[in-house]
Amino acid sequence: MHNKNPYIWGGLCLLVTGAILLIPAYFVLNLTWLVALSVCLLILAFIMLALGNTVPRLSPEVCQLLLETGIDNIATIVEELGIKTKAIYLPSSLTNDTKPRALIPLHSGPGKPNILKALPQRLITRYGTAPDDIGLLLSTVGSNAIELVETMPGPTPGELEMSLTNLFRGKLGVADSASVICQNSHIEVTIQNPRIENRATWSHHCLGCPLASIVASFAAEAWNKPVAITQEEFGKKQYSMIIEVLD
Amino acid sequence: MKIYNTYIMTVSTVLLLGTVIMTAMHVNSLATYYTVYAAAALTITELFIYLNSQARHNLNIISVMLFAGFLVALSLQIVKILT
Repeated sequence: MHNKNPYIWGGLCLLVTGAILLIPAYFVLNLTWLVALSVCLLILAFIMLALGNTVPRLSPEVCQLLLETGIDNIATIVEELGIKTKAIYLPSSLTNDTKPRALIPLHSGPGKPNILKALPQRLITRYGTAPDDIGLLLSTVGSNAIELVETMPGPTPGELEMSLTNLFRGKLGVADSASVICQNSHIEVTIQNPRIENRATWSHHCLGCPLASIVASFAAEAWNKPVAITQEEFGKKQYSMIIEVLD
Repeated sequence: MKIYNTYIMTVSTVLLLGTVIMTAMHVNSLATYYTVYAAAALTITELFIYLNSQARHNLNIISVMLFAGFLVALSLQIVKILT
């Protein structure tokens, strides 16, 4: 009984109250409005019980703990290696895996690396023919968030917008909505009312904040091309970013 | 879980407001109350398109139950008219 969430408890309370009210209201008092009110309470009780059964057993605090542990570990690796280059988000077709990943080149060159073939699934991986073409291939928040959506979005702003809003609002509850505008090879994404705070850490500089990481992973998978976060901007009630699709 | 809270608050507000309005209008038929409740709950559930698939599945079961109740209320009214 201790594992029951507030929705289940609320539903059970409404169910008992509705049942207790219904019997005297119908058989003794014969008051239509009171019977209707009891029915209304019963409907709400069933809705709350139905929703209560879908709430994850892990508390948000535990989830936050796991997320921060993962991010701290990545931050430690990135910081230790002194990497300053921005990550390139690769689609699953270029990672030999079912999910997209982020590649952080160890050496910053003048242009973005051109990745044409699938990279081996290793932490330190070679992505080109030059001796310096070595990078870290990391799994990010976005890599795992891909598995939460039922269908992958197509390479259109509408499909990406729908998929991101569905994830942020319906599944994760971390933002109200996302809007997507495409201009040539640049995708401008604006997230309304984000509820994940931005931390100015080294890993955030390389990978972007968790929401940007999710958006970049989705864009990479949707366009089936490598992408990079070129700009992030935190407003009071919105968070906007520009993602560049690399050819 | 913000979407769950918004959904529950919306359904509760609409159903309770419907009860107050119908009571003020001296509606005396239980079938009318029930039809309004069912219609409101079904409409709001359809409007919340971003609910996750498991929640939607569970709410669909509630929707089927509500619709079955509506059919019972409707058939009772038809029988009442015919007899």
